[in-house]
Amino acid sequence: MTLSVVGESVVRRDLREKLTGEALYSADLKLPGMLYGGILRSPHPHADIEAVDATAAEALPGVRSVVTPFDVPPGKLGPDLAILDTRVRFVGDEVAALAADDPDTVRQALQLIRVDYQRLAHVPDPEQSLRPGTVAIHPGGNLATGDVLFLERGSVEAGFAEADLVLEDEFFIPTHSAAPLEPRAALAAWNESPDFDLTVWKTTRGVHVDRAALSAALGLSPERVRVIGPYLGGGYGNKDESRLAAIAAVLASRAGRPVRIEYSREDEFVAGRVRHAARIRLKAGLKSDGSITALHASAVLDTGAYLASGPGVARRTGQGILYLYHCPNVKYEARLVYTNRPVAGSYRALGAPQGHFALESLMDRAAERLGLDPLDFRLKNRVRPEGQPGRRTSPPGQVIDSQPVEGGIPFSSNGLEQCLELGAEAFGWREPLPASPEAHPALKRGKGMAMMLYRGGPGSPSSAEVRLEKSGAIKLVTGLMDVGEGATTVLPQIAAEVLGADSGQVEAVFADTYGTPDAPITAGSTATFSTGAAVVQAAEKVRRELMELASTGLEAPVDGLDAAAGEIFVKNDPSRRISFAELAGRMDAKALTATASVIPGSADAIVNSFGAHFAEVEVDTGTGRVRVVRYIAAHDSGRIINPRLALNQAEGAVSQMLGFALTEELVTDRATGVTLNPGYLEHKSPTIQDYPDLQIIFADVVDPVGPLGAKGLGEVPSVGVAPAIANAIYNAVGVRLNRLPFTPDRVLQALTEQRPENG
Amino acid sequence: MAVFDYVVARSIQEGLDLIADSSVATLLIGGGTDLLPLLKDGVIAAERLVGIDAIPGMDAITQADDGLTIGAAATIADVPDHPVIRSDYQVLAQAAIGLATPQIRTVGTIGGNLNQRPRCWYFRSPLIPCLKKGGDRCYALAGTTKYLCVTGGDRCFIVHPSDIGVALSVLDASVEIAGPAGARTLAIGDFFSGPGRDPTRENVLEPGEIVTKVLLPASPPDRSLYLKVRERESGDFALVSVAAALWLADSPGGPVVREARIALGGVAPVPYRAAEVERYLAGRTTPAIDAARAASLALPNPTPLPENGYKIPMARNMVQRAVAQLIG
Repeated sequence: MTLSVVGESVVRRDLREKLTGEALYSADLKLPGMLYGGILRSPHPHADIEAVDATAAEALPGVRSVVTPFDVPPGKLGPDLAILDTRVRFVGDEVAALAADDPDTVRQALQLIRVDYQRLAHVPDPEQSLRPGTVAIHPGGNLATGDVLFLERGSVEAGFAEADLVLEDEFFIPTHSAAPLEPRAALAAWNESPDFDLTVWKTTRGVHVDRAALSAALGLSPERVRVIGPYLGGGYGNKDESRLAAIAAVLASRAGRPVRIEYSREDEFVAGRVRHAARIRLKAGLKSDGSITALHASAVLDTGAYLASGPGVARRTGQGILYLYHCPNVKYEARLVYTNRPVAGSYRALGAPQGHFALESLMDRAAERLGLDPLDFRLKNRVRPEGQPGRRTSPPGQVIDSQPVEGGIPFSSNGLEQCLELGAEAFGWREPLPASPEAHPALKRGKGMAMMLYRGGPGSPSSAEVRLEKSGAIKLVTGLMDVGEGATTVLPQIAAEVLGADSGQVEAVFADTYGTPDAPITAGSTATFSTGAAVVQAAEKVRRELMELASTGLEAPVDGLDAAAGEIFVKNDPSRRISFAELAGRMDAKALTATASVIPGSADAIVNSFGAHFAEVEVDTGTGRVRVVRYIAAHDSGRIINPRLALNQAEGAVSQMLGFALTEELVTDRATGVTLNPGYLEHKSPTIQDYPDLQIIFADVVDPVGPLGAKGLGEVPSVGVAPAIANAIYNAVGVRLNRLPFTPDRVLQALTEQRPENG
Repeated sequence: MAVFDYVVARSIQEGLDLIADSSVATLLIGGGTDLLPLLKDGVIAAERLVGIDAIPGMDAITQADDGLTIGAAATIADVPDHPVIRSDYQVLAQAAIGLATPQIRTVGTIGGNLNQRPRCWYFRSPLIPCLKKGGDRCYALAGTTKYLCVTGGDRCFIVHPSDIGVALSVLDASVEIAGPAGARTLAIGDFFSGPGRDPTRENVLEPGEIVTKVLLPASPPDRSLYLKVRERESGDFALVSVAAALWLADSPGGPVVREARIALGGVAPVPYRAAEVERYLAGRTTPAIDAARAASLALPNPTPLPENGYKIPMARNMVQRAVAQLIG
């Protein structure tokens, strides 16, 4: 297949606007008569609100509307989430809100609201949460969803019985924040046009999903609600709540004027969505020949005050354990637990980084115990293209989940071996490390690696519309949101390729529920694969119709025609040609439109993406400081549609998770429930000076299922960063770190305890 | 952000007059890099801010026979830019360069740096009524103690955040203070004060007083340096820092240490002078100095908390590294 547009680093469509500051984000938007909203947040981790007296606030000149838990519409935004609730469940939970003429009045008025709290015992961690007799945070109890997630393939009892070596350890992952540069914001306006009751602009990862949530909570018909996603400043799958927009809508309704509310920086850290803290116990059984006989993991995840996307996170935490290594017997169980802490939700790769940290740390120890090089151990035990041993249990014809448990199903493509080989080659894994330029004897260098697997792109049912208008304009219409990863560039690139158009010729119409087909959230690394599949089908239909039209004018049969650069030509006489625009001008209809809807994935194969990471670190044994010197990330995400954007995604993911590995932790005080470090200074995201020499490699894989051979990418490179660095630290100084992040205090303490001669 | 008035003082006397008026809650502001976030977060409150960075001459760095004078409104970035500081007071230049970020160094002032408030998370949270804010107790003690002090704590366990203060502590610097009753000069070691005296304050500056300048004596050290351990390369306060300065004389057995000054940051509520290390170094020829032995004398009676014991080996390792580097 010859490609002309796909594979080119087409410049991202929003680049100019973002670089020049012209791009408008949600908090930049203003409407005539717009009011400013503000939220009163709970100072207590767990309390019943007995009364709210907003009389003084309402009396303040400039205050236009107030909402409290006692007068809020009763609808729900999730199974456990009201618009406002008479019980608060973490410090920072929403209590009441108001709208006023200006932000100063808002701040002043919020201080005048009096709240009577009946304080309740609070739950600082999952262990206490599950203890009998602990106060229930939600009526169903503190085990969220009410059930332990339990998944098994084969029999781990049998697997451990035949093992020559059994290793077991426990791994701890703290809460950390996605720390997006743009805090959450929403603007709500009623009766902006006769077509809609409510129009909302908000920070979002899916306008159609937000519309469904808002219309349900506010008791409106979905067709009467319009949700628009302006540019998003830091997505990471994280901006998934609609409480803010619902509060803005209620305030706007009461004031009869539009209302915009923006989170403060502190709000974003405390009341945004954090990564689930996790405690994972992992046990592995191995034969002395190096093969793995059993893996058994048990995870406890802290979902905080509300469920959010917790079940998805719990599930994804287990996928590496269930599937990355060839193993007939695996068991994964997970407990998702409520606590009175900030709400955990979706954040780049959900639980996969947590699960892979445990798995790839323990596998490194297994390799060492067996006397195998970490790379050889992984080459030997990696899951093969034919998948896991066992028998398929899914009925024939059913689309295979991209997170299967059962064996007996092959992958659509599996470039894991290529990632391992390419990454090791680029890193020079089999050669000694180059000498450190720093001569200080306290500085020790080491190398480490990890491999990873992740969902390869099949998501929820997806749709796309491709339209050639009479003016000659070509539009790709989807309800999808570009959360910053570049779908508004990549999907038109796919459409242009299929149509035979120029890359810049296809306009993107996205992120507005008005006039677009229903669309899923932009999450799970699914947009290119899933919506891309619909784009291919819709574009193919348009191309076929154009060929029919051109066939008459060019007096040549359809199969004698081809298209390129926006023109259709006769294959054996390219001088006979006609442009799309000319064809469009001759159409009777206003536009030539084709839509397609797909259920993404395959009934015969698992679609997964793969990667292998290699890190060189330098550990200062005098201070415990770890510096990542060099980093190689090799990935199989199928065919790369836009190399520059793919590189951005991979570099961004690795850089982001460098903070997860080395410095970042969002700390909640046990006694008071207060989040102690809600800001960039103390959450300690790495700075540019902390970043390593980073090289990204893409394996040469064309997936037979994915659109034009593509698979998912956005989250995948974030998955293996922490264990690659942990293993490199061990290689450098001989200490094993089971607790993230690897801050100087922890490294120094480990050196003192595990290797006193080193410290 | 709270609403407040902002007044620019044009002279030290005008500044003193403005803060003498106790009917208005007034605070001094230099660069504001610490004060404004504290106000914004509701940790402290003020009805009026008096700017003292526009007072003529207040930002000057001047050299005279009796030493070097650094105006309190000189910015952190001005310090390493000054040729004499860069060549003769390297410890101070290095402390300034490694501090915060370029943006903060460009507006933050020397006076503000010495008067900045601690970074303790519990102090910084408006929701926690800790002892330092006039509350009933230290909440950190039962919580996150990783960043707290390993010596000198007394009901409150902060570490002093100033890098500049640690560097000045090895330069025998003094602080000049203007007040309603005239000017007074304090040795840097007498300027800072621990929580035992008053847990709500970190120095002895009285209400109504203004730090006007820092004085460095005319005899700079022969060798000095500043080392800082932090969790990321830029924009981070010290976990532990060490300032070291040696005054040397020639002797047949090699250079001999006439005077030694070693101070540690990040370990105590004030810049901490490692007196035992200084005593060990004084009088020794540099070839006879055992840096490891010197380091072992730092922090003789530490009182670590559950999560901050790492600071003791870290501090000693840094002292060893500093001494080895200075005598090397």
